[in-house]
Amino acid sequence: MATQVQTVPGLVTPRRSLGSAVVRWITSTDHKTIGYMYLISSFVFFCIAGVMALVIRAELFTPGIQVVQSNEQYNQLFTMHGTIMLLLFATPLFAGFANVIMPLQIGAPDVAFPRLNMLAYWFYLFGGLIAVSGFFTPQGAASFGWFAYAPLSSSTYSPGLGGDLWVFGLALGGFGTILGAVNFITTILTMRAPGMTMFRMPIFTWNILVTSILVLMAFPPLAAALLALGADRRLGAQVFNPENGGAILWQHLFWFFGHPEVYIIALPFFGIVSEIFPVFSRKPVFGYKGLVYATIAIAALSVTVWAHHMYATGAVLLPFFALMTMLIAVPTGVKFFNWIGTMWRGKLTFETPMLWSIGFLVTFLFGGLTGIILASPPLDFHVTDTYFVVAHFHYVVFGTVVFAMFAGFYFWWPKFTGRMLDETLGKVHFWMLFFGFHGTFLIQHWLGVQGMPRRYPDYMPEDDFTWMNQVSTVGSMLLAISTLPFLYNVYKTWRTAPQVAVDDPWGYGNSLEWATSCPPPRHNFTSLPRIRSERPAFDLHHPEVAAMDHVEPDSDGIFDWEADRRGQVSLAAERLATGDAEPEQSSATIVDDGRRPGPQDDIDQTDEQEDDRR
Amino acid sequence: MARLAALAVLVALVASGCSAEAQRGFLPGYDDGQVTNQTERITSLWTGSWIAALAVGVITWGLILWCVAVYRKRKDDHTLPVQLRYHVPLEIMYVILPILMIGVLYFYTERDMSAITDVSEEPDLTVQVVGKQWSWDFNYLDDDVYSSGQHVIDVGAPGNPETLPTLYLPVDERVEIQLEARDVIHSFWVPAFLYKLDVIPGRTNVFQVVPTREGVYAGKCAEFCGEYHAGMLFNVAVVSREEYDAHMEELREAGQTGSLGTDLDRGLVRGDDAANTSEEG
Repeated sequence: MATQVQTVPGLVTPRRSLGSAVVRWITSTDHKTIGYMYLISSFVFFCIAGVMALVIRAELFTPGIQVVQSNEQYNQLFTMHGTIMLLLFATPLFAGFANVIMPLQIGAPDVAFPRLNMLAYWFYLFGGLIAVSGFFTPQGAASFGWFAYAPLSSSTYSPGLGGDLWVFGLALGGFGTILGAVNFITTILTMRAPGMTMFRMPIFTWNILVTSILVLMAFPPLAAALLALGADRRLGAQVFNPENGGAILWQHLFWFFGHPEVYIIALPFFGIVSEIFPVFSRKPVFGYKGLVYATIAIAALSVTVWAHHMYATGAVLLPFFALMTMLIAVPTGVKFFNWIGTMWRGKLTFETPMLWSIGFLVTFLFGGLTGIILASPPLDFHVTDTYFVVAHFHYVVFGTVVFAMFAGFYFWWPKFTGRMLDETLGKVHFWMLFFGFHGTFLIQHWLGVQGMPRRYPDYMPEDDFTWMNQVSTVGSMLLAISTLPFLYNVYKTWRTAPQVAVDDPWGYGNSLEWATSCPPPRHNFTSLPRIRSERPAFDLHHPEVAAMDHVEPDSDGIFDWEADRRGQVSLAAERLATGDAEPEQSSATIVDDGRRPGPQDDIDQTDEQEDDRR
Repeated sequence: MARLAALAVLVALVASGCSAEAQRGFLPGYDDGQVTNQTERITSLWTGSWIAALAVGVITWGLILWCVAVYRKRKDDHTLPVQLRYHVPLEIMYVILPILMIGVLYFYTERDMSAITDVSEEPDLTVQVVGKQWSWDFNYLDDDVYSSGQHVIDVGAPGNPETLPTLYLPVDERVEIQLEARDVIHSFWVPAFLYKLDVIPGRTNVFQVVPTREGVYAGKCAEFCGEYHAGMLFNVAVVSREEYDAHMEELREAGQTGSLGTDLDRGLVRGDDAANTSEEG
């Protein structure tokens, strides 16, 4: 295979000392660097909150209080576990993936407002640190649950600095999220490359757009509610005084944020798996427009269902919210069938990103089914606020965010770092996490149905919950340990993996990030390919397929619109057989200063590795 | 459709082949009768919904596993698959079909929801249940007596169920429960009744129920309410009318006449709390 090494002056930064590298990162306005900082910070928060979850599970192993010092400490742990996982892990993780990938996918050199982007990150980081710093105050962190129901969250019932830090820290972090969303929307609307029409944007980018719009719907009410709560706590305001109906008012405001929030952290991750299925099925995504419309429908419905968190308050119009909640199943089902349709009659290979994506499908499906059950108020009355709900939302949120996060990490790691993660370690990681997750949370459905409320630090031996809690705790240990192979994988490949020398190491990438080098140069592209479909990188690397790539409605019947896009099968076979179909050489190969093996060696090594893999 | 029906039947067969517990969908319950007038209704909606949900689940998981097993890339296969992008009739089908299924679920949901939340009938007796951090006061309004509970301190120690505050209800009589909160939000949950309703300060929540089986059932606070949330436990004793009257007489003899009303709420005597806020900032 012919390789061309093109040296582009100024693309390679000289090696720096640690101090200067740190300064360079924290002063960066490069969307990729800011994205990496988002990803790293949120992963650190993920690990911190994960350890909290382990302490929670250890405490529940047997009746009695053994692990934590007091109920109050337990309450702080689950409050901060929820807060961190939702607002300091999952939400910024969306911002991280969006920052790194989205500009690449639309062929933009950066985001629309790079300095606003930087500001948003620092708002998030410091807001998050402020919220968590409650642990260092004498009375500890906030302990009123992550949804801070009034009046428990008032200074009367929860005095202490921890609660104040929680309120104002999250408000600050929330502004970061809002500013980030403004940036993403502007970038997507104004900075698409020539030829990149809206309906040629990758599904991931579409989902970032829709998610960002949802952020603008959901986070301002949260900011307003938090600042009002802060005024109640510190300035003696009476906004959430129960005598004035404040208890229900808070719930409405909070869940008007809280439910869209679930979709804010789900849609980008649906986007990630929507990018992965086509690549490892060697097919375009099935029903592209249907998938886009389903995403929009989910977003629209998600702002009409908030009160399904409030069925048991007796204060909401049950039929309306029940119907709207059930309706969300329809676009979600459409997505499922699109994903399955993408795999249908494909030629699937099971590299780690695909494995995680299928793990996501299998897991999230069960969370969706229990969601339908919970949508029905007569059934929700019994199981709401129990471990059934805990199990449900972990299936939904963990199934989506964590499975798709790892899918995205393994998928885009070469794009982030220029190195592939190790496949074997990745598979060990996947299976440990998969069984650990289901071991932890499947049993919790039964626990809830049989009567264990959530947020109990302790339960009676007569309740008969003990053995189920023990199964769950053992599962959680396996789940936690599964992180170790991942961290070792990151370390090992950082030290030893060869540099990826091609644009698209997976071979069948569709979107534009696979048409630039790994990692991309400072402003992403040295040249842009023609964008004539929703998968420009695939068209570039497989021109023999692209040659035939247009819709040819069959004339047999009015509904027989099955587009036949076989491409030139014989030519494709020939190119694959002779190795000519290997992904094209990078448009820019970064020539390093010689500490690593030279670029020519790297390319050869990678070629060998590629050949082995196929 | 035929396959779906067949699967539903299969799941039903498997479920009926299992224990009585599985037939209830693992909901709390007893073989010798329904606990309240609503539990049968809820249980059948629960099991019916689960059968439908699992049928959908089994089909979808089946399709996923089918793709994984059948459409994996063979070793020496170097041609690309057909690059199919859409199939309009199929896409229309998988929009319409879920809407129909949702319609069915919604129909039964609406029917049962109105029955469960209906409070239009004249109750045989009315009990006011007041939630407080972290226990319950029971005001038997018709008998003009009350009982007051304290939270469990060491929840994990054995023997607690015998010492819990207990709400007495006469069997086969329609009781109206009026829920009030003294401080923060609580939730009144008797798992065996398969129903809970939040107890919210500044708001009176009401529901009616006819307990139909004598026995003692565990009750728990289900809305997080602070430090001793897990100790906010109680029992519900469903007893015959005679036993109920005897218990009322006991309470009267103990001097617990009248009621512990909402005038004792912390919200109304928050003067010192407010003072603390303003002085200490």
